[in-house]
Amino acid sequence: MAWAVMNWGLFKIIYRHTGEIGLDSGWHEHEFFIFLGTIWIINSLIQTLFMANAAEFSELIRTGNLDFALLKPIDTQFLISFPRINWSQLPNGILGGMLIAHSLRELMQEREIYFSVFSIPAFLFFIGCGAVVMYSVMICLASTSIWFGRNQNLYNFWFYITNFYRYPMEIYQRSGVGMALWGTFTFVVPILVVSNIPARILAQPLGTPWKSWEWGLAAYAIIGSLWSLMASRWVFKQALKSYRSASS
Amino acid sequence: MPDFSRLLVPDKPIYNPKMPTIEIKNLSKTYRVYQKQEGLIASIRGLFHREYREVHAVKDINLTVEEGEFVAFLGPNGAGKTTTLKLLSGVINPDQGSVQVLGHTPWERENEYRRKFALVMGQKNQLWWDLPAMESFRLNQHIYCVPKDEFERTRDELCEMLNVTNLLGRPVRELSLGERMKMELIAALIHKPDVLFLDEPTIGLDVVAQHKIQEFLKAYQQEQNNTILLTSHYMKDIEALCKRVVIIANGSIYHDGSLEDIVDQFSGDKIVTLQLHDDRSLEAISKIPNLIEIDAPKIKFRVDRDGVGRVLSQILAEHAVDDIVVEDPPLEEVISNVFSQAEEKSRREATHSNSR
Repeated sequence: MAWAVMNWGLFKIIYRHTGEIGLDSGWHEHEFFIFLGTIWIINSLIQTLFMANAAEFSELIRTGNLDFALLKPIDTQFLISFPRINWSQLPNGILGGMLIAHSLRELMQEREIYFSVFSIPAFLFFIGCGAVVMYSVMICLASTSIWFGRNQNLYNFWFYITNFYRYPMEIYQRSGVGMALWGTFTFVVPILVVSNIPARILAQPLGTPWKSWEWGLAAYAIIGSLWSLMASRWVFKQALKSYRSASS
Repeated sequence: MPDFSRLLVPDKPIYNPKMPTIEIKNLSKTYRVYQKQEGLIASIRGLFHREYREVHAVKDINLTVEEGEFVAFLGPNGAGKTTTLKLLSGVINPDQGSVQVLGHTPWERENEYRRKFALVMGQKNQLWWDLPAMESFRLNQHIYCVPKDEFERTRDELCEMLNVTNLLGRPVRELSLGERMKMELIAALIHKPDVLFLDEPTIGLDVVAQHKIQEFLKAYQQEQNNTILLTSHYMKDIEALCKRVVIIANGSIYHDGSLEDIVDQFSGDKIVTLQLHDDRSLEAISKIPNLIEIDAPKIKFRVDRDGVGRVLSQILAEHAVDDIVVEDPPLEEVISNVFSQAEEKSRREATHSNSR
């Protein structure tokens, strides 16, 4: 929670110096804080539901206790993904929800925001897509433990990768390197799409109605979530084939 | 008219009760093990160039086990016993060969197969460490889809047999090793498996706990008529439970037969203990070859199996003897000899194949 507050404080300072991140991107202060709140919610979901389990998975491989998960007549990926819930990470998500509510209220006093009965369900649906993509990334990272024997840097890798999805995608679209990162994290590992789409539903940085490319990205977020889940499952199954089971 | 008969042909072989419960053909598993050298420089060098050694954990094993058999897997450490059990339970994939257990290929990890067997490892723990064993049993009930009534009946029966009913509510971390192993057995048996793989279930237990678990396994197997493969380094386990013994060394099966066969085949001696009537006889006999110990008025010595009658009649003709005991050497000693012979054979074979 302290990290979330510091994060918020940092961007508060940045917005003292600039009115908008990116030229004509529409990501002014309140729009951006809606984006930030969305990220906190997705992160909180992942850290509450999967992070401790992914770290535990690495330990199961190192000690050979994954044997018991493989013996059970139940999907192994399901069994290792959900044994524990880390409730201590949930407050960050609640804080994210509060930040979104506050920023949205401020935003509505500045300009008109279009809401329909589908806005909140659509926002929650795309948050779900985000959680699916981030879960898939985590499963792929955790599966590498089977090949390497252990993966103590899971948290570090997670931090490096999630660093790229914490910002609006417009910031990448100004240089060659940026475009390469944008392409990678949009089409190969679609983490940018799933953080940007739910935030755009509420913040509407470019106003309403949505541009056609925004609709295209929303459709791609759904396809990307399914694709990520299937890819992570394939990686997990391939990794299991190489499982050696630590000696007893 | 469309031909529907093809639809009746199953994709996978259906288990025929007349088939052996376990059928292993030419099973092999080799591990590639990184040879790390000592020191920082060697570690840095290891980033660019690594040396590996191939460990043939299981080599071309063929084995058939029928329904209701209780088979012991014996072998020195690193012989390939646990690897074989892991292959049979589908935890790891083989490099070559085929295995059918109850008509299933284990490493395909079909749920139908996983509901029919259990693996208990004496050195690993499947119970939730911080929760009472009861919670783990309940989880297994749901995972294995055991109806509530059946689950409660089986749990109560097993708890009663192992005398642990009063420990069900205690966190696993607070149980003794023996109590924990009993709970591990219950967790593994809650779905009444047809095939049970036991990997050193009595390791580290005191003699009382060992004996209790032996008694339980014997009674349970007789009642359920399930097929059990057991690895253990305690000969008491083997003597108490298994009629058939498979000796495995360096990944290959060295002997497959009854315990009596092993003693007959691999122990050329008998141990004779005499209680003599007077010290004069004791002094005379003490010069006998292969003397083991003298604890007056008793003397213990080793005699060639075929020569027992001759030696005893000679002694009885010349000395007054109060008591005679003729017995096989301790099983541990016989098995140890078998292991040495098996390892020597493997070494010779390895040298032979390297020289070719």
